[in-house]
Amino acid sequence: MRFRVSENEFLKKAFRHAYTSKGGGDTGEGWQSQAMRRIRQIGPLKSAAGFWPAFEGMVWRLAPVSCLLVLVLTLFFVSMEQDVDSDYLGTMAAEVEKPSLVELFDLEG
Amino acid sequence: MQNDAFRSSDADIVRQVLDGNVNAFESVVLRHRGLVLSIVKKHVPEDAVEETTQEAFVRAYQSLPTFKGTGHLSQWLSSIAVRTCYDYWRKAYRSREIPISALTEKHSQWLEETISKMPEEVPDERERQMEAREILNWALGKLSAGDRMILELVYLEGFSVKEAAELLGWTKANVKVRSFRARMKLEQLLSIVKEQERRGR
Repeated sequence: MRFRVSENEFLKKAFRHAYTSKGGGDTGEGWQSQAMRRIRQIGPLKSAAGFWPAFEGMVWRLAPVSCLLVLVLTLFFVSMEQDVDSDYLGTMAAEVEKPSLVELFDLEG
Repeated sequence: MQNDAFRSSDADIVRQVLDGNVNAFESVVLRHRGLVLSIVKKHVPEDAVEETTQEAFVRAYQSLPTFKGTGHLSQWLSSIAVRTCYDYWRKAYRSREIPISALTEKHSQWLEETISKMPEEVPDERERQMEAREILNWALGKLSAGDRMILELVYLEGFSVKEAAELLGWTKANVKVRSFRARMKLEQLLSIVKEQERRGR
């Protein structure tokens, strides 16, 4: 889409001039004292140096490391369980497959 | 107080405020009131300038713990001022407090004349500035708060996408998309005004 009207050089200039020359009257000093009154009502900022803000910062910094650690440990345990399972199955299979002496020499009856 | 305000650096004052000295914030107000006022004056109507500036400084105080001190305090305050103006418009649009005056034939005539000027004609920028402002206010009033802010910053003030993104706290991609959409809406609105002039003939 081409901006035929809004990109017209003269119109854009006229708009920009009208926009930037929007002076606005002089403002008094009242708003400053009102702003400071509101700020004093809020009181000192809670983040003033203390244990918790520093701790919070540390928690967020450690969060990715903790996530990675959880992931690695999960993978480790999952693979370990599979190993145990396969060992167990392997032993079972060996037990089943191993022929007893009786079977081997057909000594029965 | 005013002399003290200019003696210590912004970083010192911020540290004092964060250490619990509420009154030290007055130095921030004194130092940066001109900057914040100039931003607010551009974006909000005259009768809302003082209230919005006041709100911007209160927000700046409350958000001071998030100021990392890596950039200039003035940049950080500019961004807070722009976002406060954006919130002003969001609130105004929600409560429909924006007076949208209807445009007359005079406006559409002005628009037609302006866009049909020949390149060799040197336009008098002050010429019939009133019409330009009224058409602009009418068009901006028809847009959403976000579209309005992005048009004012990028199209009218000439900020780059990156600068506008920093000021509004949006991503660059978001600014690009919204800027394009807002320009398209402005184009449509202006085309309507232009069409009215053609029909009137």
